[in-house]
Amino acid sequence: MRAPGPTPTARPVIRARNVTMAYGDLVVLRGIDLDVHRGEVFALLGPNGAGKTTTVEILEGFRQRSAGEVRVLGTDPERGGDAWRGRIGLVLQSWRDHRRWRVAELLTHFATYYPDPRDPAELLALVGLTDQAGRQVDRLSGGQRRRLDVALGIVGRPELLFLDEPTTGFDPEARREFHVLVERLAREEGVTVLLTTHDLVEAERLADRIAMLVGGRIRVCGTPSDLARRAAAQTEVRWTAGDGTAHRERTKDPSRLVWQLHRDAEGPIADLEVRRPTLEDTYLHMVHRADDGTDQAAPAVRGGHR
Amino acid sequence: MTDKVDAVDTADVAGMNDAPGGTAEPRRPTRPYWRAGLLRGGIELRHLLRNPKEMSGQLTNVVVALLIAAYVSGEVPGTDTPMAHLVLAGFAAYLLFQIGLISLPQMLVTEREEGALLRLRATPGGIPAYLIAKCLLVVVMAVGSLGLLVAATALLVDGPLPGGPGDWLTLLWVTTLGLLAVVPLGAALGAVLPNPREALALIMLPTMGLLFTSGAVFPITSLPVLVQQAAAVFPLKWMAQGLRSALLPDSARAAEAAGSWELPMVALVLTAWAVIGFLLAIPLLRRAARRESGSRLTARHRKAVRSGAVLA
Ligand SMILES: Nc1ncnc2c1ncn2[C@@H]1O[C@H](COP(=O)(O)OP(=O)(O)OP(=O)(O)O)[C@@H](O)[C@H]1O
Ligand SMILES: [Mg+2]
Repeated sequence: MRAPGPTPTARPVIRARNVTMAYGDLVVLRGIDLDVHRGEVFALLGPNGAGKTTTVEILEGFRQRSAGEVRVLGTDPERGGDAWRGRIGLVLQSWRDHRRWRVAELLTHFATYYPDPRDPAELLALVGLTDQAGRQVDRLSGGQRRRLDVALGIVGRPELLFLDEPTTGFDPEARREFHVLVERLAREEGVTVLLTTHDLVEAERLADRIAMLVGGRIRVCGTPSDLARRAAAQTEVRWTAGDGTAHRERTKDPSRLVWQLHRDAEGPIADLEVRRPTLEDTYLHMVHRADDGTDQAAPAVRGGHR
Repeated sequence: MTDKVDAVDTADVAGMNDAPGGTAEPRRPTRPYWRAGLLRGGIELRHLLRNPKEMSGQLTNVVVALLIAAYVSGEVPGTDTPMAHLVLAGFAAYLLFQIGLISLPQMLVTEREEGALLRLRATPGGIPAYLIAKCLLVVVMAVGSLGLLVAATALLVDGPLPGGPGDWLTLLWVTTLGLLAVVPLGAALGAVLPNPREALALIMLPTMGLLFTSGAVFPITSLPVLVQQAAAVFPLKWMAQGLRSALLPDSARAAEAAGSWELPMVALVLTAWAVIGFLLAIPLLRRAARRESGSRLTARHRKAVRSGAVLA
């Protein structure tokens, strides 16, 4: 989907090995392995309470992991200094701060902390808040507030951007613009993006690779098509036969089936439709398999790139 | 601080041969904290001045002071100093006390709960800038409200003023030391108190108790000895006494418990509180900043939404 794509040969921007996390008795992460490469957009999916925010916060250095190895931009997040912080941008799940500030004022102020910030006015235009520049932050709508959070997250030109459910509360147009923005950041500026989302379409559209976090483990990890292929759900082929009866068949190899149909029919086939399993099918399948306890943790680290 | 942080960073990178990611790139220099801090302080101050609630609070203070001056009559027993002057000096001390122990913790708790502290923690140099901004804000608020009070009462109702350069000097150091005694303490409170509304309730009662037992609003000698001794542990009594020494003539000493202003003791107690405050505030603020995280923010937000306090 994206032209240059990530470079798997370089050292990963994020590397985690066997990370575990427990809140008292509650074990949230049971050994997570992650490699995220430069310029890659990486999506973390999982049901509510799966530990997505926890994972992101461990990588951001906001939370002390119970065990495991983590390197983010070459540094252990728990010991990251100001110079390291300056290379990272974040958008957290529920910020409601700086209510009294005006939009442009806040963005301009946060630009002063960074050596090479983006121009606040351009940034406002980029996230579509130019009309709200003079408005007080607590008068913004939920989606506008979120867009301001995104602007604040990238004002310092981060190399690595963490987005924790960035598009919650966006209307479809804002969502589309946000997707374009993230793609631009990754493709044109080489920003590495780690995002969590509940929107599977968003993950499929944006992410080079997707990981599903269920039951404290990463169940699968790979490109969106990898995931679809790995799912037990099979591609469905529908067509109408020469005698007018509707047929449907599930197959691992739709291309072969369609080729055979064509040969048998010696011509075009009516109502031919090949339906690949969607990411949603894969996702639901993973979550349910985890619920049944019939799962086997899939290896999370692999070099699968499109 | 910059040096220390950089040293850790470099050591870490140097010690790791397999360091992934682009650490080889030239590290960008960190901006000086003070610039962002002063800018931030200026902006926060502007918001304060534009906030009608905050400003009407300040005006109320002045009105209360004027009412005190108008309604309190007679002299301090055994002296020819107007009783109103003694009360006004005590009220001035209370204003300082209140800025440090009510306004400041409220600001801190609110900003902590809303995530401002977290955002600054995620920003290079954000926390030092935040502290600088808050110091600036507190000093301006203290000087502003004290100045307003003294000037308004002196102009309108013949209120007390320092009698000479020595008294002005006393006013300066008592104010400074008084702020140093209460501001770190207030910061420590702001780091531990649960949420803005509860914080106010928890701080208000003890503060009011101190206000009435510290000899701030009427001569301390009229209170039981036990109460006097209890109040003498806390900074408000000494702030009030120090300000009385600066604002009242020396003849008013007769009404003091010790028969003198006890300025060395004022300095000693306020310094002791400043030290205690700093010792408490630094680890507590660290802990508060460390404990804040996105999930806590989310949990609080959800709770607030459920209880109907905030619209989702
Ligand atoms: N500070 C904390 N103390 C104790 N438990 C916590 C804490 N933070 C999170 N948890 C628990 O850890 C689990 C994972 O939480 P986390 O916020 O990481 O999930 P999530 O995947 O981000 O969920 P969501 O999709 O709802 O955002 C949850 O069960 C949550 O209740
Ligand atoms: Mg979350």
